[in-house]
Amino acid sequence: MSKTTQAPKALRGVGNFIDDRFHLAKTGEKNLRKVFPNHWSFMLGEIALYSFIILLVSGVFLTLWFKPSMLEVVYDGAYERLQGVPMSEAYASTLYIDFEVRGGFLVRQIHHWAALIFVASLVVHMLRVFFTGAFRKPREINWLIGVAIFGLAMVEGLFGYSLPDDLPSGMGVRILQGVMLALPLVGPYISMFLFGGEFPGEDIITRLYMLHVLLIPALLLGLIVAHFMILWHQKHTQYPGTGRTDKTVVGTPMYPAFAVKAGGFFFFTFAVTAGLSGFVQINPIHLFGPFTPTSITSGLQPDWYMGFMEGSLRIFPNWFDIAPFGYAIPTAVLVPGLIVPGLIFGGLALWPFIEQWITGDKRARNVADRPRNAPVRTGVGVAGITFYGVLWLAGSNDILSETFSIDLYLTTYIFRVLAIVGPILGYIIAKRICLGLQRRDRETLEHGYESGTIQQLPSGEFIEVHKRSSDETIHVLENKPPLTSTALSEPEVDDKGVENPKTRKGPGKLRLALARWYTKDNVSLDDVEPYSGHHLHHSVPEGEKEATH
Amino acid sequence: MKWITARRRHPLAGYVVVILALALFGVGYAALAPTADQAEAQTLAAEVPSPDDVDVAAGEDIFNQTCASCHNYDGGGSDTGPDIRNSGAASVNFQVSTGRMPSMDPDSQMPRRPMVMSEQDLANLIAYYNEEIREGGPDIPYEVPGGPPQRENFEDDASYEAAMEEHEADFEAYIEGADDTDMGMKLYLTNCAHCHGWSGGGGALTDGRWAPEIHDATPREIYEAMVSGPGAMPMFSDTVIEPEEKQELISYVKKLQAEPNAGGIFDLNRVGQVAEGFIGWVVGLSLIIACAIWITAKQRAHD
Repeated sequence: MSKTTQAPKALRGVGNFIDDRFHLAKTGEKNLRKVFPNHWSFMLGEIALYSFIILLVSGVFLTLWFKPSMLEVVYDGAYERLQGVPMSEAYASTLYIDFEVRGGFLVRQIHHWAALIFVASLVVHMLRVFFTGAFRKPREINWLIGVAIFGLAMVEGLFGYSLPDDLPSGMGVRILQGVMLALPLVGPYISMFLFGGEFPGEDIITRLYMLHVLLIPALLLGLIVAHFMILWHQKHTQYPGTGRTDKTVVGTPMYPAFAVKAGGFFFFTFAVTAGLSGFVQINPIHLFGPFTPTSITSGLQPDWYMGFMEGSLRIFPNWFDIAPFGYAIPTAVLVPGLIVPGLIFGGLALWPFIEQWITGDKRARNVADRPRNAPVRTGVGVAGITFYGVLWLAGSNDILSETFSIDLYLTTYIFRVLAIVGPILGYIIAKRICLGLQRRDRETLEHGYESGTIQQLPSGEFIEVHKRSSDETIHVLENKPPLTSTALSEPEVDDKGVENPKTRKGPGKLRLALARWYTKDNVSLDDVEPYSGHHLHHSVPEGEKEATH
Repeated sequence: MKWITARRRHPLAGYVVVILALALFGVGYAALAPTADQAEAQTLAAEVPSPDDVDVAAGEDIFNQTCASCHNYDGGGSDTGPDIRNSGAASVNFQVSTGRMPSMDPDSQMPRRPMVMSEQDLANLIAYYNEEIREGGPDIPYEVPGGPPQRENFEDDASYEAAMEEHEADFEAYIEGADDTDMGMKLYLTNCAHCHGWSGGGGALTDGRWAPEIHDATPREIYEAMVSGPGAMPMFSDTVIEPEEKQELISYVKKLQAEPNAGGIFDLNRVGQVAEGFIGWVVGLSLIIACAIWITAKQRAHD
C-alpha cells in the first residue's frame, strides 16, 4: 500500500483507539461497502424514514409547550379573537404554540405536513414492493412489519389529530367512539376503558397524548429499526438486468456514493415539507375554535389516510342493522368501521402467503418482478387500489358534491356501485394491459424494436425497419421468470390410474383452481430466439399466430 | 405542415401536445362556462324608505309581471310557487336582493346572483307587498347594516363617498358591537355550521340541495335569512335567537371570515382536510419523488 492512501495520523489514532476496543474495522468496512441497487422507486421507503425523523424532531419541539389537559381555562393569550372564550388547556396551549412560541406555528405545520407525507410515502413504498413482488421469500416477515407500521401510522395520525381539542379533533374522537361502541358485547367496555367513563370526558386527551408521544412512536421506531436491519441483512431487491441474479446485487456502495445521495435526499424531503408548511396553511385550529359537545360542522374530514374509513362509513347501507333479543347490532357501523379495514389490512398481510401457497414457490427471490410478468398479482393490486380509492373518494363526498354540484345522494349511489364494479374493472383492465405488454416484449425479442424508419421494397411494399435492441433489453426479456405453480406439475392421475389424493379434497382442489387462474393467459417467451422473427417483413408469416404487427 | 412534420417526433413533442390540449380545454371552458355567480352585495341603503320615495303603483306592476306567474296575483301561491302572504318583507327583501327571485327554474334551488331589478324597483315592490299582500311575517331589519351603497344611485362622488363612509361606520359598529365571542361561536357552531360549514363556506345537503356559502352575505341578509328561513333553512325567529344573540352570531362569522391566514398565503379556500390531503400528495409527495427520480438518474448516467 502506498503512503498516499493512508488516512491522516489524527484519524488513524482515533480509528485505532476504537478498533482496539470494539473491533469494528472489519464490520465497518463491510457495511460501508454494502451495495445498494439504483432506482428511484427504491427511494420511496426513504421518504417515509425521513418524514418520520422530521416528525420525531418537530414533535419533541411541540411537547415542550403542549399541555395535554382538559382543565377548562378562559383564554387570555395573544390571539385576540378568542380572548375570553372558555376552552380546554390543550386547546389553549396549542394556541400558545401557534401565536406566542417563536416559530411554533411553522413547526406545528411542519409536523402536520410531514405526517401527511409520511403516510403517503408509506403507501407508495408498499405499492412498489407489492407490484414488484419484493415481498416474496425471504422478505415475508419484513412485509408484515411494513403492514404493521402502516396500521400504526394511521392510528398515530388519528390520535395526533385529536390532541389539540379543536372542532375537528372532537368530531374525530366522536366517530372513534361510535365505531368502538358498535362492537357487540365488548364495545361499551372498550369505550369505557379508553375514555375512563361512560362518556368522553376529561381523561381522553391525557391518554391519547401518552399513546401519541410515547407508546405508538416507540412501537413505530422499533418496527422501523427492525425493518431496516432485516433489509440490511437480506440486502435490497433489484430489477432484472445483466449481471443481476438472485445471488449477486449490482449497485453503488453505501459509502460514499449512496450515503451522499441519501443524505441529500433527506434535505430535499425536509425542504419540501418546510416549503409547504411555510406557504400552505394546514389545519388552522385557531380558526376552527375549541370543541364543545354541541358543536358540529359540515365539510370536515379526517386527514387523508383515514379517508377510506370515513368513506366506507358513509356509503355502507343500514339495511342489515339487526336487534336480536333487543340488543342492537349496528352493522352499518360495524362492517365499514372494522370489517372493511380488517379486510384491507388482513388481505395485505396475507397476500405473500396466499401467493406462495398458490405457486408453491419456495425459492429465495432477490430479483424483483416486472409488474407485467405477474399479471394476476398486478391485477389484484390494481383492484385493491381501486377499492381503496373509491372508499377514499366517498369519504369526501360532501366536498365533491358541493364543488362539482352533484346531488349528494347520487354520489352515495355512484360510490356504492363503484366500490363493487371498480375493482373488477380495474383487475380486468390491469391484467389485459400486462398481457399486452408481455406480447410486446415477445415481439421485441423476436423482431427488435420499431425504429420509425419506413423503407420501400423493390416490390413496392412499405415496411418499417426493426432494429436490434440493447443487450440489456435482450437479457431482461430472455430471463423472464416462468410463471408456474407446483400444483400444475403434479400429475392428476398416477401411473396406476389412481386420482391424485391431493387434488381430490377441498383445499387441494381450490389450490389447483387458483393456480390455473394465476398462470393462465401468461405469454411465454421461452420458445423465442432473439431476432428469429422476420423483422424485414410486414406481412404475418403463415403459421405464426403471435407475430402481430 | 412541413414544420409540424419535421418536429412531431421531437422528444418534447408529446409534452407540447398535452400542454396545448390542456390550454385549449381550460380556455374553452372558461369561455363557455356560465359566469360565476359572484354577486355584488346589493341591498337597500340602511334607512327605512319614506312613503314619499316609493311608488306603490309601480310596485304592483313589478309584482304582476315578475312574481305573480308563480305566487299568484294575491300572493296566495300556485303549483309552481308557494303562498307568500305570511313570508314577510324580510323574506321578499332577502330573496330579491340576493337575486334568488325571480327564479329562473321554480323546480330547483336558486344560487346567489346579482339582483335583477334596481333598488328603487325593489323598494316599490316591497311597498306594494306590505300594503296589498302581506298578512304577517317578519319585517326588514333596517337597523342591521346591509350592502354598500351603489355609485349609480348618487349624483356626485362626494355624496357617494359620504354614504360609503356612513355605511362602513355602521358595519363596523354592528360587528364590533358584539363582544361575546363564545356566545356567537356556540350559536353559530350549534345552529348554522352543520349546513353552512365552520367558515360559512357552504356545504352539500340532501336531495340535491345545498347550503350556500355566506361570505358575500351582508349582516342584514344573514339576519333576514334567519328570521324568514328561506328554502330548506329552518326559521330562527327573534324569540328563539334574540336580536342581540343574532348580532353576536353574525359578528362571529364575519370576523372569522375576515381573519387573515396565519398559516401561510395559501388557505386552500379553507376547505380543510380534503384539500390538504390533495396538496400533500400532488405537490408534497410528487416533488419528493421527482427528486428521487432526478438523483438516481444522475447516478445512472455516470455508472
